[in-house]
Amino acid sequence: MRRNQWATLLVTASLWLSGPGFLTAQAPPPYARTLETYTVPDVVLVNQDGTKVKLKALLDSGEPVILDFIFGTCTTICPVLSAGYANLQTKLGTGPSKVHLISVSIDPENDTPKVMRDYLKRYRAKPGWDFLTGRREDIDKVMNAFNAYIPNKMSHYPLTLIRDPKTGKWIRIFGMMSSSEFVAECRKAGVL
Amino acid sequence: MSGWRSIPFLSRLLAGACGLLLLAAPAVAAPPAKPKAPGTVAGLPADKALALGERMYRLGILPSGESMPSVVNGDVPVEGTAFSCSSCHLRGGLGSWEGGIVTLPTNGARLAIPRYWKFPNLSPEERRELKLQNPAARPAYTDETLAHLLRTGRDPSGYDMHSVMPRYHLSDPDMAILIHYLRNLSARHSPGVVGDTLRFATVIAPGVSEDDQQAMLVPLNNYVARHNQFSAGFGNRMYLGVGGNEMSGAYRKLALSVWRLTGPPETWEAQLDAFLAKEPAFALLGGLAPGDWKPIHAFCERAQLPCLFPITDLPVVSDSDWYTQYFSRGYYQEGQAAARYLHGLEDSAPARKPVQVVQDSPEGKALAQGFRDTWAELGQTAVPEIPLPEGKPLALATLEELLAREKPSTVLLWTGASAFPALAALTNGATGAFLSARLLGSQLTSLPEPVRTQVWITYPYREPNLEPKHSLYADTLLGGLTQRHPETRISTRTYALVQILRQALMDMDRHFYRDNLLDRIGMQRDQILPDYLRLSFGPGQRYASKGCFIMQVGPGPSPSLIRKSEWVIH
Ligand code: HEC
Repeated sequence: MRRNQWATLLVTASLWLSGPGFLTAQAPPPYARTLETYTVPDVVLVNQDGTKVKLKALLDSGEPVILDFIFGTCTTICPVLSAGYANLQTKLGTGPSKVHLISVSIDPENDTPKVMRDYLKRYRAKPGWDFLTGRREDIDKVMNAFNAYIPNKMSHYPLTLIRDPKTGKWIRIFGMMSSSEFVAECRKAGVL
Repeated sequence: MSGWRSIPFLSRLLAGACGLLLLAAPAVAAPPAKPKAPGTVAGLPADKALALGERMYRLGILPSGESMPSVVNGDVPVEGTAFSCSSCHLRGGLGSWEGGIVTLPTNGARLAIPRYWKFPNLSPEERRELKLQNPAARPAYTDETLAHLLRTGRDPSGYDMHSVMPRYHLSDPDMAILIHYLRNLSARHSPGVVGDTLRFATVIAPGVSEDDQQAMLVPLNNYVARHNQFSAGFGNRMYLGVGGNEMSGAYRKLALSVWRLTGPPETWEAQLDAFLAKEPAFALLGGLAPGDWKPIHAFCERAQLPCLFPITDLPVVSDSDWYTQYFSRGYYQEGQAAARYLHGLEDSAPARKPVQVVQDSPEGKALAQGFRDTWAELGQTAVPEIPLPEGKPLALATLEELLAREKPSTVLLWTGASAFPALAALTNGATGAFLSARLLGSQLTSLPEPVRTQVWITYPYREPNLEPKHSLYADTLLGGLTQRHPETRISTRTYALVQILRQALMDMDRHFYRDNLLDRIGMQRDQILPDYLRLSFGPGQRYASKGCFIMQVGPGPSPSLIRKSEWVIH
């Protein structure tokens, strides 16, 4: 390779090396919404109480459900997704909740039931919000089934999936929502 | 969307490819620190305000003791207990990068200078020298503009921060306290950064054999020598452009001291204080001690000194301690695995009544503690524990008597291979047993044949036949010398430490703050390295290997191990 080509390569590389700050200003968050059909894998996961949970039965029960992918020590994305869940629960009030909120761990090795219990406590989660962990293989199956597979948890992205209880279809929301947007999406999906 | 997702990956790739060159560039002076003059803050002494500001930043608790509320994504109210500044900006304040969302630095050094989208790491002096013309994205923050940003999300250039950066409606005094903390957060390089050199040390406690010392010191010293050689070889030869200048600012030579402790453990902390005062180190690397790591752990917490991957199986197990990053929870983790396995068995008979036999040694106690804590966490009732004096083998009669008296479904025998003759007591077939592979060491495969199907082994490493071959780099680093006693896994663990450190030094960039070093390790992707099946990281995660297999020993004189569990048992 000629010398100036090296120089170009190095400068390009250094731009990446200089890290995220090189990117230009981050646009405000428009979220993308699509309607999808997913086949829920038949796996057994474990919830924050250490109880085994059949995912298929849970998601296909006909009960309104919302699903996201988080992990206990995640920065930026999970805190904000979880704040959205906590806020939705507050809005739904204290009565028996109609909507089942589910968070699936993408760091199943670290997210033991105890870690998940502590996490939910920090967000003052009420009954009706379950955090699920499990065998890495099974978690991979779940991520794949929802077209959300990531090989490295640090390149995780914000995704919220709302199941329409009437059609069984899923509304896939890519990006972050405000509280009013979240409520509006839930209404549209018929879960509120 | 796929491009959006591939950004971090690409940067990793390039960072990897350019790592060597990064390390090859000349050194440039660090940006000047701008600490705030001491005085009073919101009517409080500066150090008091600093402590209160730290609590706001790390725990989301207001000076009043109440939770610090905020609003994200426009209209989502959040309690401070849910997350705090450090959840996103990390403890050292240099920020994070996850899933395409960039959390900008919020440390003292960065807030005091303008922000540039291009080459953000260059100091104002470097920019002047390089005659860079591009305008700043924002000017340096004043206390007023910073308060405005934190309240409204709008920076002094008029840019509105992404809505995931919460808006904080703080009172004036609370705001002053938080800003005082931010001004002092990672404002000056940590001790151990001396001129163009980053100084490290490794601790060796008394009672470590010469072979074991060499198994760690040879690869560590080889690594330091190679790193420094690269700078000498490439030196100033290549002009790298502006990016090169930015990279070169991150380069430091490395130096490693060996801190040899003497005498009883109670005296170590004082010795370590003296070493640190004499030759300040940025962090400790590896380290060897025959017993509990606790005295060194305690020293590091107190001195706020990172200790990366000490070669110990007797770590301090804590959810909240910060400064020591371990490979695993060691023996404790084996006890945990036994509890989880037993609890999760389809056939619940073996879990009906376990009994622990606990040798009075640091290892035996750690195994028993891991089992006890996890058994309770799983909602099971406490199990009887039979103590065994240190160094005393478990006698056949003792075990027979125990079986007759307690009628356990399973015995957890936290003793070494000296218990083998006693295992004859198990041949009635009604009782299973657990033993620790690490305690058995090379004796594992001489487990008496008649009881092999009744004995479960906690095995904290990858299956031996699946251990990958050493890379060429590993071979040159280790040298033949250090591989004389592979069963200690000292040299291979040192190699793993070096690999993680190399990545961390690149990721730390020129931000030489001790907390930032730990933060960067926390942001590393999973690593497949020798010994442990998988090492994984996360902010605040301090035990990289989370797994432990349960094995049985196959038949015959050179038996294979039969895997009975997942790596991580839920
Ligand atoms: C949920 C994650 C999150 C939390 C919590 C958070 N931040 Fe941020 N912060 C961000 C993100 C993301 C950005 C960058 C936004 C952008 O570039 O548009 C940012 C930007 C900033 C900036 C601007 C830096 C610059 O160079 O202009 C400062 C200062 C800051 N945050 C301070 C804080 C403080 C102090 C706290 C706690 C009181 C805090 N942040 C809490 C995510 C967070």
